[in-house]
Amino acid sequence: MARDRNGQTDYVGPIRRIVVGGMVFVLLALFLLWRIDSPRVERFRAALVDRLVPSMEWALVPVTKFAGMVEDFQSYAKIYEQNQELRRELQQMKAWKEAALQLEQKNARLLDLNHVPLDPKLTHVTGVVLADSGSPFRQSVLLNVGERDGIRDGWAVMDGLGLVGRISGVGQSTARVILLTDSNSRIPVTIQPSGQRAILSGDNSAIPPLDFLEAADQVRPGDRVVSSGDGGVFPAGLLVGQITQGPDRRFRVWLSADYERLEFLRVLRSHETPPVTDSGGLIAPDDRLGPPPPPAEPAADAPATTVPADG
Amino acid sequence: MRPQRRFPPMADPIQTARLAYRLIYLLLAVLVIFLRLLPLDTTPTSWPGPNLLLCLCFAWVLRRPEYVPAPLVALVFLADDILSQRPPGLFAAIALLGSEFLRRREAMSRELTFLIEWLMVAGVMTAVFLAYRLGLAITFVAQSNLSMETLQLVSTVVAYPLVVGLTRVGFGLRKAATGEVDAMGRRL
Repeated sequence: MARDRNGQTDYVGPIRRIVVGGMVFVLLALFLLWRIDSPRVERFRAALVDRLVPSMEWALVPVTKFAGMVEDFQSYAKIYEQNQELRRELQQMKAWKEAALQLEQKNARLLDLNHVPLDPKLTHVTGVVLADSGSPFRQSVLLNVGERDGIRDGWAVMDGLGLVGRISGVGQSTARVILLTDSNSRIPVTIQPSGQRAILSGDNSAIPPLDFLEAADQVRPGDRVVSSGDGGVFPAGLLVGQITQGPDRRFRVWLSADYERLEFLRVLRSHETPPVTDSGGLIAPDDRLGPPPPPAEPAADAPATTVPADG
Repeated sequence: MRPQRRFPPMADPIQTARLAYRLIYLLLAVLVIFLRLLPLDTTPTSWPGPNLLLCLCFAWVLRRPEYVPAPLVALVFLADDILSQRPPGLFAAIALLGSEFLRRREAMSRELTFLIEWLMVAGVMTAVFLAYRLGLAITFVAQSNLSMETLQLVSTVVAYPLVVGLTRVGFGLRKAATGEVDAMGRRL
């Protein structure tokens, strides 16, 4: 920097350049470190967010609530029409409720007849949305539950109705949820009446498209889409949404979860299904091959020899 | 800057003002990040808003460079990288280089009309976005789609005059006129 407006020798310029160059170098080194060892840096990021964002909670929550109130207040303007509409909807809902009750009873009877065991292990932890991703190119939210609540990476997250996303990144008291609309989100799904399998792949739009659909002619707009549980990441049968067809004739999914207002989310505790590792033992009438063959056993020496051999 | 400080003992008013403005810059940056973190709308948007931090930084660097020292710029952009899920460091480094480029042209830009300044800033912003994409491409990081980023670049360029107007009205930040002196009689 040769320009020196005060008639003095400029000592600062070169030093400045070195300092700025050093900072650029450090920043780029951080980027490269992230590129090489992303999990470690991401864990650092999660820890930092975990430290920073909850400390802003006192401000985040009231402002969010206030914005919600303003939005609600605007809807007072159309309260009369809304009331009429709600009455109509209520009337329809009553009919649906009646149908649902009957179906539920019928379903319970049928399940009972068939001795279907329901999975008792799907319990959930409820969290409140603290912050969103802060970037228009990422679709994620931050929940106020984390490692101390037993949250683990990969668990499914729902709102009251449908699937919202999955946990990716857990801090001590916060966890990040990658939404189904994020461009990194890929979820195996089943399309309900036809039983077609597909992958729901987010693309930063509100209605994500379906990939790897086998027979597109068996799928219609309006079909239900549920998670398929393939790959063992998600529990099967969680409602995702309904099929719709975009202007490009591609099948997309209207998500059931209310993405407009994500506030309270459920994190489903999924327990790993024990993997089937071997192809099963040989089934033979030999009495050493396992517990099932009870009938003709000499009771005298069997417990002493077979039980240790089994274990 | 530093060797000229020949009036150390008293509470230096220029020093205080400078510190105050640096603090204001930091607070504005925190406010922008905070507003973006608010979970108001979690649906994907079709029109990504402007990168206000970039506008703010460039506007201040071209008006009073001593209020936005390079370490502060680096700190703010790094924090933004970390909080808004970008790869940490790359955008911060490029934004810092961009601001340094403008900082060296600050004295020259005083004589320019605003339109020319805007064009220059738009050029630097485009360079920043291109360099960022290039950096991601070289390291094979997955990128968000080009049309969205282009929209963001356009809205950032459009937002620049607004940010300049706001800093002028809100914080009285103007370009130093030719030959203007500060309270100590030194030329700016």
